[in-house]
Amino acid sequence: MSTKPILSVPTEQLENTTFDATMEERILELLKRYPTTRATLIPVLWLCQERYGWLAPGVIRAVADRLGESPAYVEGVATFYTMFYTKPPAKFVLQACETLSCAVCGGKELLHHLESRLGIKPGEKTPDGVFQLVGVQCLGACGTAPVVQINDDYYENLTIERLDAVLDDLKGRS
Amino acid sequence: MPKLTIDGREVEVPPGTNLIEAARAAGVEVPYFCYHPYLSVVGQCRICMVEVVGQPRLAIACATPATDGMVVKSETSERTKEAREAVMEFLLANHPLDCPVCDQAGECLLQDHAATEQGGQFATHMVETRRTFPGYERRLIGPHVIQNQNRCIHCSRCIRFTREISETAALTYKSRGNSAYIDTFNGEPFTDPFSACAADVCPVGALTVRDFRFRKRAWKLRATPSVCPGCSIGCNLFLNHHERVVYRFTPRENPEINATWLCDHGRFLADSLNAQSYLHPHHRAAGQLSRVTWSEALRALGFDLKAAHTLRVVGSANLSNEELFLARELFVGHLKGEMVVPVWAGEHRRMKNGRGEWLRSTDAHPNSQGARRLGLRIVDPAGLSRFLYGAADLTIVLDPTAHPVLAEEEALQLLRVSPTVAFARTEHPIANVASWLLPTTSMACHDGTLTSSTGAVQRFSAAFEPPGDVRRTAHGGMSPTVPTLAQPYGPPAEARPLWFLLTVLARELGATTLDLPDVGSVFALMSGREKGFAGLDWDKLAGSGDDSFRERQHVG
Amino acid sequence: MESVLLRARGVPNSRSIDTYLAAGGWSGFAKALSMTPDAVVQETIESELRGRGGAGFPTGRKWSFVPKDHPGPRYLICNADESEPGTFKDREIIEHDPHMVLEGIAIASYAIRSNTAYIYIRGEFVRWAALLEDAIGEAHRQGWLGRNVKGSGYDLDIWVHRGAGAYICGEETALIESIEGKRGFPRLKPPFPAVVGVFGKPTVVNNVETLACLPHILTKGAKWFASIGRPKNTGTKLYCVSGHVKRPGVYELPMGVTFREIIEGPCGGIREGHTLKAFFPGGSSAPVMRASEVDVRADFDACAEAGTMLGSGGVIVLDDSVDMVETAANLAHFYAHESCGQCTPCREGSDWARDILDRIVAGHGRPADPETLLRICRFASQGMTICPLGDAFSLPISSIVKKFPEEFERHIRAASTVPQKKLPVLPWAGSRPGFGS
Repeated sequence: MSTKPILSVPTEQLENTTFDATMEERILELLKRYPTTRATLIPVLWLCQERYGWLAPGVIRAVADRLGESPAYVEGVATFYTMFYTKPPAKFVLQACETLSCAVCGGKELLHHLESRLGIKPGEKTPDGVFQLVGVQCLGACGTAPVVQINDDYYENLTIERLDAVLDDLKGRS
Repeated sequence: MPKLTIDGREVEVPPGTNLIEAARAAGVEVPYFCYHPYLSVVGQCRICMVEVVGQPRLAIACATPATDGMVVKSETSERTKEAREAVMEFLLANHPLDCPVCDQAGECLLQDHAATEQGGQFATHMVETRRTFPGYERRLIGPHVIQNQNRCIHCSRCIRFTREISETAALTYKSRGNSAYIDTFNGEPFTDPFSACAADVCPVGALTVRDFRFRKRAWKLRATPSVCPGCSIGCNLFLNHHERVVYRFTPRENPEINATWLCDHGRFLADSLNAQSYLHPHHRAAGQLSRVTWSEALRALGFDLKAAHTLRVVGSANLSNEELFLARELFVGHLKGEMVVPVWAGEHRRMKNGRGEWLRSTDAHPNSQGARRLGLRIVDPAGLSRFLYGAADLTIVLDPTAHPVLAEEEALQLLRVSPTVAFARTEHPIANVASWLLPTTSMACHDGTLTSSTGAVQRFSAAFEPPGDVRRTAHGGMSPTVPTLAQPYGPPAEARPLWFLLTVLARELGATTLDLPDVGSVFALMSGREKGFAGLDWDKLAGSGDDSFRERQHVG
Repeated sequence: MESVLLRARGVPNSRSIDTYLAAGGWSGFAKALSMTPDAVVQETIESELRGRGGAGFPTGRKWSFVPKDHPGPRYLICNADESEPGTFKDREIIEHDPHMVLEGIAIASYAIRSNTAYIYIRGEFVRWAALLEDAIGEAHRQGWLGRNVKGSGYDLDIWVHRGAGAYICGEETALIESIEGKRGFPRLKPPFPAVVGVFGKPTVVNNVETLACLPHILTKGAKWFASIGRPKNTGTKLYCVSGHVKRPGVYELPMGVTFREIIEGPCGGIREGHTLKAFFPGGSSAPVMRASEVDVRADFDACAEAGTMLGSGGVIVLDDSVDMVETAANLAHFYAHESCGQCTPCREGSDWARDILDRIVAGHGRPADPETLLRICRFASQGMTICPLGDAFSLPISSIVKKFPEEFERHIRAASTVPQKKLPVLPWAGSRPGFGS
């Protein structure tokens, strides 16, 4: 698996975000799917997160303007869902499942290992900005516990050794 | 119309009425925190649980429509009692115990409920550390609103207010669950033109009004029904006052005009009612203003008025219907003078009524509609200038704040030409040119009616007597003839309501029909003579001193 | 037993429409198109298919609540927000057989006369959302979706809508709000989605597994489906087994096998050197079962009789190495994190329960804690909240407290007292220099 790193655009560059033709085209495509404009909000936020790496205030304002919502509304929706980043993420976000099946099948040990290997606590980023550790709730892959999702990819049936190998690989590629 | 029984009381309500309102009609108070009659129903707080006989689970009264034959138990149900106790326990688990330093205390729905319901026995078994929101404990989120997120009970009223009423959608929850907090986009200032209403609808002290915070404990305040002087829409409000100081305006329910809202512009005029620059009657002799007694002033003025061949009067659309009527009857009818009422547009104002319709106003005065109904000549700035350029032996300015033009140098020069009588309350350059300066009081000191641009004639009430011992005397003058001594509250002052001064002057001038003892009598005379006010009954106009539970709930 | 829902597992190139068609795929939808929508509803009612998402409501009856005379559009939503801890069956179906899901959606949409369907898939399933998009593309190209499907005059569009990380959006009204572009706050009911659903229109929300059963019901008949399992608990069921078994995974078995048969059969029993202690029969929101209850049948009614629920069929198996108080704390963290925060009892209760359980685990339990936990659970469930999340966190926690009191006692007996915060005390005047000795 070759997990793609997240390239987050710096805040300053997103201050006055405007959507280019490609984005606009994709938004128009989404608008056809739903009877209301508002329904495209979450898909459009996904588009933006793919494009800019995260949802900076400037991006939220641009989405709000494009969809005719107040920026506060858009921010309220974005912060309800845990997968939207309203702070710039690291290149690789390690989302270690903490819920029951993973926890009893080595997930706890895995998380502790990640904490000591990276020297960070859940929620923090490594100083070089390569890794970010997040403890997440059930990822829906309990049969292959323990599971860590890295960016968009699931890494299942993990052991400390396998996870180390994955991190070494990602670190090498960053 | 469904007929139902609530706690053994039968009540008939219009179809679609929810159980909270039905219970209210039956005289049963169902507690609530998130419900608000003018906001959408979300059923979040869960305190309004009632037992509907025959249903296995408790129902939330806010989201349950009354149906025919329903039997509802609120206070008479053990299950309801238990459930409400549990909900209170949950709410109090994380709500700080800071009532003594919370400005909402005294008008807090949570505190009220905790203190009065079920013997005030609510408690929580929680021993964990309360969750807090560091940095959000005393945060100015807008020019008028201060947030303390620790106190928030997540009712979402403020969010719904900005979405449904003010339509700015400026407030939102961020995050979710018990970590959710109220915020604006990116922490930007909450500059909603109705921002203080968000604090009004807050049932607890999570959002409080900055301008009022810590100025007065809520239970010290008396509430007098009044009408907003801010524009022609005429929003209904309570004057909240104590010891002759007006502390704030709070909304008074009127579904036709302002539901339970006030715009920030109108609301924060409250403090302006406390201004009283002129305390005693003054006369200018040889260029110098000197203090005179009311008796002297009114007698001399009477002579001057009788002697004047041409009399002109600048009225004001800020005055009550009664004052305008008295002035017209006295100066135009009795003395054959000429009277105009200047009107200016001011800023565009708007208000949403109980049906969700916007009412708009481009008229800065609370009573231009009343002036029109009385058939007075309405003039614009140009008309006012022309009026002032005309020659006259005597000019009366009933309210120098009637129009900004009156404060301009050109107008002041014109007023200098012949003697001018100015009735004034607040600092105004007209004091430099007037030959008579007669102090009047704010609308907090007298009764009256204003005609809204919606056409409603609305009554406001006197909140308190103006300070100073000034009364009518048997012979028609005013006592005391010597300056008053300091009163316990407020400065020693002799300012009196304009309507009162006009009635005294009427007697001085021999217009005995206008020499009336109270505003109600003026109104009665007016409604008898004026088509625009025919059939209206003073006693039936809104403005009773009722500070009911329902109204407090909207404020709190 | 012959695999039905998992028949494609292990088949090479199983996701392609050609493989699916070769196995008789899309013929169920073809058959449905030859019937009236009402006949499809009737067939489904007769199959006694019950919703596989957790509630076990009869699917055909759910469809029949959609008003027949409604003029405007109606919507079908496929709930692929699979977030219930212990549940991973929908991902398995999509992974191997996305067309089976699409065909099920097509049949259900036709039955309720909907021309637009959305698949609400949890945001983390990026890969599986892409698989569904690919399959939709294939189905369009082969004329099974789009305008005038196979000349029938029936139009159908299916759109994939990704969630973004919220367990609550698996609740159907929260899911509807989420599709509408709002925070995932469950709605007050009534009105029910069948009458006022997404975009204010009649809407049916069905789980992936439920929908995947439909092609088979149509091709093999309601009688065939009803013959599997027990009366009112018919068909095959995907059991997701996780935790301390030798071979965790998704297994398809006839409804009504016992939990022992599941655990000791395909799962190979408890891992070496340990014994079964407890299991959650249907996702973490179902009341926990002790090892002695392992012979209960894994179907809706038998579980209900045993005081628990089949839920989503996510069997979480815990062996004797597990501390049940820690288990309760783990779940409390999950629910406190996932409570949407609307209703007071759930928002405050889940948070509070988490704090109590954390404190007990940390060695500072108090004798009154189990009682307090039960009180929290009692008043956060049973209709005290808008949606069932209140029950979802209350049932497992209260059941652990009730079924494993000895573990709580052990923790609390061994507990040190809660460390008291030291309040600042002014030094006694006598000790200050210059104030005597």
